[in-house]
Amino acid sequence: MTHCGPSGSEVSSIRSRKFRPINDFQTDINFYHLLPFRFHKITDQTEVLINEIGDFLLCDIGTARRIVNREVSYSDRIYADLISQFFISEKPIPDLIDLMATRYRTKKAFLDEFTSLHIFVMTLRCNHKCRYCQVSRVAENCSDFDMSLSNIDKSVELMFMSPSKNLTVEFQGGEPLLAYDKIKYAVEMITRLNEIHKRRVTFVLCTNLSIMSEDMLDFCKKFGVIISTSLDGPEYLHNSNRPMLPGNGFRLIKDNIRLCQEILGGDSVSALMTTSELSLKYPREIVDEYIAQGFTSVFLRPINPYGLAKKHRDYDLDYLEQFLSFYKTALLYIIEVNKQGITFIEDYASIILSKMLTPFAIGFTDLQSPSGVINSVVVYNYDGAVYASDESRMLAEEGDYTFRLGHVSSDEYQHIFYGPKAQWISQHWANEALPGCSECAFLPFCGADPVRNYATHGDIVGHRPTSGFCKKNIEIIRFLFQLISESNETEMLFRSWVNNTHSPAQPGRVSLDFPPC
Amino acid sequence: MEFAFSEDCLLLKAQLSIYSVDVLHKCFYWYTAEFAVDIEVQADDMVLVRLCPKNKDLTSDEHGALVNRIKTDLIDFKARDIITKETRNIRDLLVAKAFAHSDQFDSKPAGNVSDPLGYDPE
Repeated sequence: MTHCGPSGSEVSSIRSRKFRPINDFQTDINFYHLLPFRFHKITDQTEVLINEIGDFLLCDIGTARRIVNREVSYSDRIYADLISQFFISEKPIPDLIDLMATRYRTKKAFLDEFTSLHIFVMTLRCNHKCRYCQVSRVAENCSDFDMSLSNIDKSVELMFMSPSKNLTVEFQGGEPLLAYDKIKYAVEMITRLNEIHKRRVTFVLCTNLSIMSEDMLDFCKKFGVIISTSLDGPEYLHNSNRPMLPGNGFRLIKDNIRLCQEILGGDSVSALMTTSELSLKYPREIVDEYIAQGFTSVFLRPINPYGLAKKHRDYDLDYLEQFLSFYKTALLYIIEVNKQGITFIEDYASIILSKMLTPFAIGFTDLQSPSGVINSVVVYNYDGAVYASDESRMLAEEGDYTFRLGHVSSDEYQHIFYGPKAQWISQHWANEALPGCSECAFLPFCGADPVRNYATHGDIVGHRPTSGFCKKNIEIIRFLFQLISESNETEMLFRSWVNNTHSPAQPGRVSLDFPPC
Repeated sequence: MEFAFSEDCLLLKAQLSIYSVDVLHKCFYWYTAEFAVDIEVQADDMVLVRLCPKNKDLTSDEHGALVNRIKTDLIDFKARDIITKETRNIRDLLVAKAFAHSDQFDSKPAGNVSDPLGYDPE
């Protein structure tokens, strides 16, 4: 005896061990609800779908249109992936909406901590003349440009008002070691005060290492200070980019890197490079030099359009095209190095891959939405002025105080961090609400930078079609997806970069987009 | 959709019932680096879009490539618009649920909390 099942097929009413045919479980074929997602072309054959919580699906070009047009059927192989990865739903509100919300919240978890990176510009004095320097610098003997003890006290007091349980104190300059006594004072005071505040404090010293000594390193070791330095590549390249007169800057830094590694340990020393016009010719050589110096990663960083760097030809979109070519060459070379058994990571790719391949928030201020300015980072200048970011300080050096939040001597915490200036910036600091960004597939992996928008376009909203920041990130993210789609081995390598215990190039440092030291 | 070239500007006529003003603005926003874009709503449910190159004149080969690029982009932005409109409510719900209890991270759990070793955080 039979009767009709839900789909009209005949079903035996006699109890049977057999499973019912799959058609019995279908409701309406090709009817499903869309969940929020975006899409982007990766190659002529491949596109990527990315949902609101950052899950991605690499698929044939045209798949997004098929989904929207309800041309994907229950029997398509991709259907199950679309359901399980929250691109479509068989119900108006998916059963796992709370899971999705939790994952979305996790991606924005950096907001819980509020300002965690506090940059102290100890001095403007410097003994180098880097051609891409973004800051004003003064001669070594101009101690009027050091941070006063009073400003240090008040800055530290403000810092401890941050609700963040993790505080990174980063000393910058100029060359901060030229004000070593002030650094000692600040580190010792913060350590003493932290016995009351009980935060997890990380000290980072950004230095060109030219005047580093064993005594200074002993101090760093005692207080757990991490060293961040600049190494632009082989000797001819480094010395050309970062002339130190008199002397050979490369040989000095090479010796001092070794000294730092011996006294502090390899994990406590890291280096950055800045890609000048000259650097563009030597992607492999730069990677080789980093490996030779014992580093396990490199951050391939372009010139930024601020300060003195803006006066050089390096700053324009033609440069950016060349940088992207340089970057891809270097990244492919790094992948080959890894295949030969040497663990070596490109840090910017690693940061983006962490956002792509893990559910966690990443504390890299340049790729955050809401923006890292104020939410993650603040700068206390040597003169006591407080800025929303290091780039904001550079604008001030050119006479533009748009992003100056206040002064440690005259303004309360509430005014600096929540006052009219901060509120104004906050109106345009989420890429979810920016033209061009709001429907970009790479939104979950990118960030908003109102200061850069202002510096390059004259307003904090910015113009994405002519934005170097946008162009760079879109192309790098697209390239990473292309590499993942072309090779399982490369995908596994990338996953090892984000899942292993490797420390980032700048341990404790959450923004790398400011002047080298 | 109709395409024409006049004085090196591309003229596109489209029906608003197919491509809304939102779709056209979002699509041609990305052309504003290379072109001066003008969108004009006309009578009879039509819209005229004018794209004039900013820096250099287009060759006839580039005319064809530009038309193909626009056709692809319009379809893509139409799909994006459909997704945006259809998922507006679920997206709002998702964000609202994500941050609904964001002010409660420091709240203590309900009820009496005891520790077998007698630890009292108070």
